[in-house]
Amino acid sequence: MLLVSSKLASEKATIDTSSPEGTARIHVVFNKGKPVTVEPASTILFMGGG
Amino acid sequence: MMKPVHNSRLFFAAATLLFLVCAGQAATKQGPQKQGRLNAEEQKVINYLVADWGEDYSVTSVDIAMAALKMKPSEESRFRIGNHIKAHPELHEIIRRWGWVTLVLTPDEKLIARTLINAERDGKPQPTVSDIAKAVGITEAQTDRGLSMLERYEVVQRAASKGAGYKVVPRYIKWEPRLDFIFHKVSLDSGRQFNTN
Repeated sequence: MLLVSSKLASEKATIDTSSPEGTARIHVVFNKGKPVTVEPASTILFMGGG
Repeated sequence: MMKPVHNSRLFFAAATLLFLVCAGQAATKQGPQKQGRLNAEEQKVINYLVADWGEDYSVTSVDIAMAALKMKPSEESRFRIGNHIKAHPELHEIIRRWGWVTLVLTPDEKLIARTLINAERDGKPQPTVSDIAKAVGITEAQTDRGLSMLERYEVVQRAASKGAGYKVVPRYIKWEPRLDFIFHKVSLDSGRQFNTN
């Protein structure tokens, strides 16, 4: 999230990842920092950590 | 008192034994080095990764680097490159920080490992190849190939069971769940692909 909202904020970026503990795949397309496609729809996007 | 002939025989036997021990040690040291030697194309993948790691939080994996260099897909080459990374954490801080598993396994292999780890960790019956394929969203043939690669990397080992016939090596079950076998692949319109953390 940090990357797509800063250095990649002017680009289209596709992110393929997995859920934190399960085996489900997550596919998100960001265009200029905003999510335009999110699969599955129940995906929760957040920025931060700790 | 020993006779001189007896002494020379003892000396000869000791020298022969010393020679055999030294030869054995040399063979043991040479073995892994020879096995780990990469060809020029495989070395290019290592060079690519060492230059890429850390840029834009990159933890790019071997499969992505091979594709970026338009290298002919080869499970054997991928294993040899991965094994080299596993054996040489001194190559880059990213290997030491994120672990070779993150950099070496494909997304499918990571999810296959997670399926087995989660089942063992939660005390559930070991999943079958069919169960794993369904959970990961791949074919059974792809699952078999993934399990075989995980066995070569000693993440899993064969075990008699009603499931897929593998069990996870204990050290991987104890890993922190949220850091286990993760991948975040970024694909840009320019064609650049990399993994990030």
